[in-house]
Amino acid sequence: MAAAKKLMSVRRDWRERDVRVVLAALIIAVATVATIALFASQLQRTLVSSASSFLAADRQLEAENGRPVPEPWITEAMDRGLETGRMVEFSTMVFGSDAFQLVSVKAVSNEYPLRGELEIQGPSEGSRVQVQNGPAPGEVWINPRLLRLLDIQVGDTLEVGSRKLTVSGLVLREPDGGFSLSALAPRVMMHVDDVASTGVLQEGSRVKYVYLFAGEEASLECYYQWLQPQLEPSHEWEGVRDGETFSRSLDRAESFLLLGGSLAVLLAAVAVAVASRQYALSQRDTVALLKTLGLGSSGIGRLYLKRLGLWGVTGMVGGLLVALPLFWILTRLLSEALERPVPFQLDSAALTPALLTAVVSLFAFAYPPIRRLRNVPAMRVLRSQPGETGREALPDMLIAIVAVFGLVWLYAGEVSLVISLLGGLALLLGALGVLGWVLVATLRKVRGGGHAWRLALVGLYRHRRASLSQIAVFAMTLMLATTLILVRTSLLDDWQAQLPDDAPNHFLINIAPDAVDEVAAYWEERGQPLDQLYPMVRGRFTELNGQPVKEVVSKDQRVGALNRELNLTWMPSLPADNVIVEGSWFEEGQTDGVSVEADLAAALDLALGDELTFTIGSDKVNATVTSIRTVQWDSMKPNFYMAFPPGGALTNMPATWITSFHLPRDRKSELNEFSRRFPTVSLLEIDNIIERIQEIVRQVTQAIEAILVLILAAALVVMAAVVSATLQDRQREGALLRTLGGRQSLLVRSTMLEFALLGGFAGILGVAAAEAAVWALQFRMFEGAFSWHWQVVLPIPIISAVVLSLFGRWQLRPVLSVSPMLLLRRLE
Amino acid sequence: MQTTNSDSQRPMLRVENLTHRVSLETDTLTILKAVSLEINRGESVAIVGRSGSGKTTLLGLLAGLDTPTEGTVELDGAIISRLSEDERAQLRAHRVGFVFQSFQLLPALTALENVMLPLELAGMEAPEKRARELLERVGLGERLTHTPRQLSGGEQQRVAIARAFASDPAILFADEPTGNLDNRTGQEISDLLMALNQEQGTTLVMVTHDEQLAARCSRQFHIEAGELTEPVAQVELAH
Ligand SMILES: Nc1ncnc2c1ncn2[C@@H]1O[C@H](COP(=O)(O)OP(=O)(O)OP(=O)(O)O)[C@@H](O)[C@H]1O
Ligand SMILES: [Mg+2]
Repeated sequence: MAAAKKLMSVRRDWRERDVRVVLAALIIAVATVATIALFASQLQRTLVSSASSFLAADRQLEAENGRPVPEPWITEAMDRGLETGRMVEFSTMVFGSDAFQLVSVKAVSNEYPLRGELEIQGPSEGSRVQVQNGPAPGEVWINPRLLRLLDIQVGDTLEVGSRKLTVSGLVLREPDGGFSLSALAPRVMMHVDDVASTGVLQEGSRVKYVYLFAGEEASLECYYQWLQPQLEPSHEWEGVRDGETFSRSLDRAESFLLLGGSLAVLLAAVAVAVASRQYALSQRDTVALLKTLGLGSSGIGRLYLKRLGLWGVTGMVGGLLVALPLFWILTRLLSEALERPVPFQLDSAALTPALLTAVVSLFAFAYPPIRRLRNVPAMRVLRSQPGETGREALPDMLIAIVAVFGLVWLYAGEVSLVISLLGGLALLLGALGVLGWVLVATLRKVRGGGHAWRLALVGLYRHRRASLSQIAVFAMTLMLATTLILVRTSLLDDWQAQLPDDAPNHFLINIAPDAVDEVAAYWEERGQPLDQLYPMVRGRFTELNGQPVKEVVSKDQRVGALNRELNLTWMPSLPADNVIVEGSWFEEGQTDGVSVEADLAAALDLALGDELTFTIGSDKVNATVTSIRTVQWDSMKPNFYMAFPPGGALTNMPATWITSFHLPRDRKSELNEFSRRFPTVSLLEIDNIIERIQEIVRQVTQAIEAILVLILAAALVVMAAVVSATLQDRQREGALLRTLGGRQSLLVRSTMLEFALLGGFAGILGVAAAEAAVWALQFRMFEGAFSWHWQVVLPIPIISAVVLSLFGRWQLRPVLSVSPMLLLRRLE
Repeated sequence: MQTTNSDSQRPMLRVENLTHRVSLETDTLTILKAVSLEINRGESVAIVGRSGSGKTTLLGLLAGLDTPTEGTVELDGAIISRLSEDERAQLRAHRVGFVFQSFQLLPALTALENVMLPLELAGMEAPEKRARELLERVGLGERLTHTPRQLSGGEQQRVAIARAFASDPAILFADEPTGNLDNRTGQEISDLLMALNQEQGTTLVMVTHDEQLAARCSRQFHIEAGELTEPVAQVELAH
């Protein structure tokens, strides 16, 4: 037994090429999955907190009815351990030295902001600083534009109503920098305790009370459950993920990361499968020998199980040793991109899928062939037995495939992902079956000779079984890698298309109908033409097919859209970035009907033909749903849930107009003049938000590229595993061919050609399967955001052919250097 | 230059002062010491000796599978150590055949394809026809499409013999061709080998432990610890 143990020692193990491949595959698998999972969870936390900071809290409760909410609501939240804060928002006139200006006041309590930071410039003309509090009582912070508009300096006083307040700072960026279109005029921020003394707020003033909440997700949810039944229509509860621009980019990035991780799992499993099967085959002689020496099947089973366990541990530890530094680097990059410290936080839950990957791929793929070793007959020592046929391995393969896809499912939680990938693979294997048949049928006729081409074709035929399984594995690898490359390209293109440098970064709201032409001409003259102008009518969606909406729609279907006034519009043509998914857009001259945004339609179960009733002021307007369309929320242009045709039901309703346009950062001072000329038009500056989104997109792009590198490394390991599986055969064969008089150059050329053919076939199949998978994916996971990328896809078979033929050449070294004496020495 | 046979013919194989050493971790091991010999065209020669005496090493050097440390091997007029790897391959393709103890058939190919392989490598005409003929000749006309796995050891060795004669070699090297077979089968294989050798007029160089088989050769070289011992008895072809 001591000798047997030595035979099975880990050191000896490491010298086996197949074992090295198994371990490399395991390490890369664990490393990739762990890095992706850790980073995804980090990104999630970071971005959600950035997104949270758009609310300056985790949740907001808005009261638009001009009255504060009952005090017990707030004490209840505090009793539940939530942090709370309070803001009052209203518009008013303020007076500087000798000018006055309409401003948008935000009065905040001491706790503001609960999430995110406020960026201000202090009195000392200094640099930007980030703070986590608002102005002290008696002070105000103002938008820098107000300095010019009111001709005042920091340190001067500003009159708000009957109260004089000292300007002690400039607000450069608010965490809740207004993504809602109701934000008005230049900002003045003051302390909430000063509001009463200004005397500005009278009964009936237009004022919004906003309450901030932050805390554990579960507590927030519980609190909302408690609060919800008491809410009135004028109360609006807002979470981070309610259709915000930000969370959509985030969702896609997350989907991508999950996809990358899943592909890493699949690739690793393939590599482990190939290498361990090869290992098991090579162990059969050893096992037969051990059996003749008296070791029983169960003893052999134990020996190999122990070894699998060791591999598993090595894979996990090694993988984590690679993943942690990588994750650290990615975290640093993230922190650089966001220009703020991101804590290096290890989410142990994120490590589970990585470790599970190692365990599942070992036990689903490596264990079955190794288990079968117990059945190797001792007779093998005396007489070489026929090798394993693929048939015995078939049930194992099925179990393994189920196991791995189960893992992907568990990991990504996306059935559609699993189905798309499985579909792609099935297609691939089907095509491969056909190819195999054609290969065998045609190559049988090729009779090799002195020509490398013919010899290569004969070579493919000679190794037809190995060739086909190699093509299968390469094609699978290429399919997975190509899928990822395609998705990445689409994703980046998509983002870049959404946020070009000249994307609109300012909104103009509240443009009176008779001022529209003048405003448009104003910016046209200054070379910054406005985007499409839309009329906007505020109204509530109140009835569905004649029934009150709140009765028809069940509680959990209720969305923010029902709790607040919607922006309704009419438009002559479908905006370029909207897509009709059901029904059809209004015909020329059509005046009835309404087009509904797809997500809202899905949330409320709206279908074509439904009759919607909107309450606008004291009027009611009816319209039948004639189309459902998707909207590009993150386009930084005005978007609407409900669009009517021109001349339709909305035409006579009180409308103001809205538009967006691009103004370079260095021309921001021009806004002052504009405000002076059109004092009633509200201006919404969103350039800060856009900048941050762009930073994050850049960051996610970097992460995606890092992940792509890991995936390609995994793919290379798979290739090495597969090629090394036939290495011994090739060595013997090479020696024989040379003994029988084959020239070295012939051997080189034919092997390179053979591999090039393998690579080419695999490339074509893989790319086709990837296109199929991506086609399926684009509908579910990425909301149809894909376009085809033939220029990305076309070179892949060629690259694959070239890389594989070089790889083949490299693999051939031992074949060329091995002496033909090998044959006489019977080294097998 | 002494020619033992009739006037114009050079010997098929001439070895002068052949020494072969391999370097081990600590020192070098001399496997063959100053071996000189000549083998004429059409001769059949057995190399015999105890295990480990250097027979396989010698055969490999004679066939040009390896190059010697010292001395020259002249095969069919060509000095092997002066040829490049590819020229040696070329020489083997056209002039040399092999039979191995462990058959060395390619498992993925059928019997027919295995026999065709050297013909294809040598770029010969109608390889399939010639391969069929040879397989018929070795008695495997019915087994053309079978792979080595489906053949017994004796049958595999017949395929190997057919392959060896396929390219119509001038000289055939065999290393213990019956070593892996039972007595009867070994006997059949020996018969086949000798018969084909006769028919084709091939020069045969064979390592064997089988005394009967050795006795059927026209000459025997005895090798002991890397040296040729017995002065080689010059026996005229008996038959
Ligand atoms: N590459 C090598 N490295 C070290 N030793 C070698 C090498 N090749 C041959 N030998 C040694 O040289 C000696 C002769 O080997 P060879 O295989 O020629 O013997 P043999 O006469 O064919 O024996 P057998 O009848 O058992 O086949 C042996 O002792 C062998 O161990
Ligand atoms: Mg030997």
